[in-house]
Amino acid sequence: MSFFSDDRAAELRDLFFESAAELLQNLNEEGLELEKRPQDEEIVRQVRRTVHTLKGDSAACGYQELSALAHELEDVLGREAAANSNGSLAEVVLIAADTFSSMLSAYRGNMQPPAGDELRRHILSLTQQPAPAPHRLQASFSWPEYEQAVIADAWSKGETVYNVAFAIDRQCPMRGAALQVIRNAVQDCGRLLAIVPDENALTDERDVVEVSLASEQAEAWIEKRCSIPSVTSQVLVQRVYAPIDAYTDDVLEIGIQPLIPAEATAVPVFQPFESQSTVPANTETLLRVDAERIDALLNLVGELIIGKSMLHQCIGEFDKRFPKDPLRGKFADAMAFQSRILNDLQKSVMKVRMVPVEQLFRRFPRVVRDIAKSCGKTVNLVTSGEDTDLDKSILDMLAEPLSHLVRNAVDHGIEAAEDRVKAGKPAQGTLRLSAYHQGNHIVIEVNDDGRGIDSNKLVAKALECGILSAADKAALSEAEALDLVFHPGLSTAEQVTSISGRGVGMDVVKTILQRLKGSVSIKTAPSAGTTFYLRVPLTLAIINALLFRVENQVYAVPLASVVEINRIHEKNIHRVDNHDVIQLRGEVLPLVHLAGLGRHSTGAHRMFAVVISLGERKFGLVVDHLVGEEELVIKALDDQLVATDLVSGASILGDGSVVLILNLSGVVAKLGRSHRIMMEATA
Amino acid sequence: MARELHIVGFRIGRETFGVPIAMVHEIVRVPEITAVPEAPDYVEGVINLRGKIVPVVDLRKRFGEAEISSTRKNRILVAEVEHKMVGLIVDAASEVIKIPEGDVEPPPNVFEEGELNYVTGVGKLSGRLIILVDLTRILQKGELRRLGEVAQSQLAASA
Repeated sequence: MSFFSDDRAAELRDLFFESAAELLQNLNEEGLELEKRPQDEEIVRQVRRTVHTLKGDSAACGYQELSALAHELEDVLGREAAANSNGSLAEVVLIAADTFSSMLSAYRGNMQPPAGDELRRHILSLTQQPAPAPHRLQASFSWPEYEQAVIADAWSKGETVYNVAFAIDRQCPMRGAALQVIRNAVQDCGRLLAIVPDENALTDERDVVEVSLASEQAEAWIEKRCSIPSVTSQVLVQRVYAPIDAYTDDVLEIGIQPLIPAEATAVPVFQPFESQSTVPANTETLLRVDAERIDALLNLVGELIIGKSMLHQCIGEFDKRFPKDPLRGKFADAMAFQSRILNDLQKSVMKVRMVPVEQLFRRFPRVVRDIAKSCGKTVNLVTSGEDTDLDKSILDMLAEPLSHLVRNAVDHGIEAAEDRVKAGKPAQGTLRLSAYHQGNHIVIEVNDDGRGIDSNKLVAKALECGILSAADKAALSEAEALDLVFHPGLSTAEQVTSISGRGVGMDVVKTILQRLKGSVSIKTAPSAGTTFYLRVPLTLAIINALLFRVENQVYAVPLASVVEINRIHEKNIHRVDNHDVIQLRGEVLPLVHLAGLGRHSTGAHRMFAVVISLGERKFGLVVDHLVGEEELVIKALDDQLVATDLVSGASILGDGSVVLILNLSGVVAKLGRSHRIMMEATA
Repeated sequence: MARELHIVGFRIGRETFGVPIAMVHEIVRVPEITAVPEAPDYVEGVINLRGKIVPVVDLRKRFGEAEISSTRKNRILVAEVEHKMVGLIVDAASEVIKIPEGDVEPPPNVFEEGELNYVTGVGKLSGRLIILVDLTRILQKGELRRLGEVAQSQLAASA
């Protein structure tokens, strides 16, 4: 390790973590594959190659614990393991992936890695069949979500956390009181963080009690204090070096990441699976580039586009001034050439930022399997459209909302097997993830064939929580009722499970989609299932826009959402249900007045209606003058001072002035409504 | 030798204010400003500063100056506040003032009351008073919202 300078070593470690994340993803996929075809020796060989690479890489970086463990695993895999493991090999591979992942997280945070005893035990059971079962206390220490947060919190405050497992004496005369006795004993040692089972009495099947404890005492002291004759037969005390120890085969994906504050754990993330990039088949032709460098490049392209429009304007003026000058033709040629190249340049840079949705989808087979397993369901995951390309930054932000939706679908959406059979559905549930283009947007669908969302139940719950008043309820449309799903703190789940049910997730989904200038909609039918549509823009950087003038200020809207433009007259505007509308080829088109957006008002009578489509609906924006069409480089507005839903960004025109790009859904939502309210007030 | 504070001085109304020179990026003439809908009253809009879009706050409105006149002397002070660029419209800005640290007094109690706690000190320079302000506080959104509420409640009380 010390062959290298510190800088070099740090660089090497970064590289290692990146490639290790990829290897773990591979390991996960191979494990799942192995589960389907346990006898396939080729997969076993693949697993072996992956583990071998990981072993070599980690040893090179000086991570001996990981390397040793990988070595043990590799050894087992050599001995024709597939043939005689009767399926448990897949399990071991998956556990290995998790163990390695938690070790990596610990290394990354410069902490002592977990010992990986569980994996060792599994490896041992593979080699020696039947397993050499010395009666050993088996504890999984898998805590529910909330308890994990508590533990992580205590841990982050620098308290020493212990996992303690009690084996209840089988001859214990007072099983009912045993739990209370244990509780008391633990509280004598320190602060009780979590206890499983969390009931008042012990059931007959259960003879292990697991406790998490924050204490200043030493392990031996706790062990002594907790050994209660004739209640416990055995006590196991483990010091927890990182909360990530909570990773076990039961609760995989909600392990707490070290260094993440407790509130962040309310929104579980799948960190171990993140930040992979495409798996290189031929590594030589692939280049790893920091996303920031690409962004810088894109920025420069943006500046160039602004430069182009400046030049364009100059040439326009030149044309006017010297209409007969032969230089005009030359200028026009040069200009056309330059814009063509610029176009190509822009497309190439954009393409660098685009990555296939597959990168997002590939983590879900494992997630679905684990959640399904923990709720005792079988769920088949079908993905399609993985090769759809999406901007990397958008893709990264979609990971979280998508995992919430997937969890919800598996945990709540899809029913238990017996209920499904009763309802005449196949026992195995199906979850579909698909991605496809739609205009300038990408749509990602999460579809399950479960019980669907009961909007009545939602409304009832909303009334109960005081989110909705009885008066609101009457005016609620079906779509609005379904939208309640996204309300923070509202969950129809009767029971809060470790996976979902706290009503936090859906709120996150909506917030993130809004931040991405996208939208989310739901389609559901009782017992036929639910589909969520996540709609996001293709890219956040450059758009074709229509420019128009309202009250002497220029605004822009994305050209992709403009359907047509019509000249309209004051006299053609009708008022229906307090909405201004016009008739357009027999269709009724609601109008949205942009006047009043700016500060100066003019009384223009001639105007245009820019017809925009927003999802399924169409609206007419009333504007004073049309300016033209231009390619705009979107720049974010300073969010703190000038944050508004009405504007999604700004851009700079050829003459150096700033144009605001309207956020159409915000404009329609706000101005459409405020107009109605204004009308009601005056009526 | 006493240390000196380097201050960019600017005028609003009849008073001279000052901010540390390190916070000020540049001083520019007032260009065309694009108004942003729904922005607070004191936010004039955004400008194009060599390809960067920078929000502009009218400090005169923020300081509750009654008469706001646009003259050719008006300037925009481009400052970096919490890693973000922001433009501040002032009546005039020109001088860099050097004040010995000893000549800066803590703000008198008058300033600490109510909304004006963004004054960090008062500098004395040959008979002139220079009010040193904390731009971060001036631009804080929470602060301003509270001010708005105060104003509204006063309105409601007087009505």
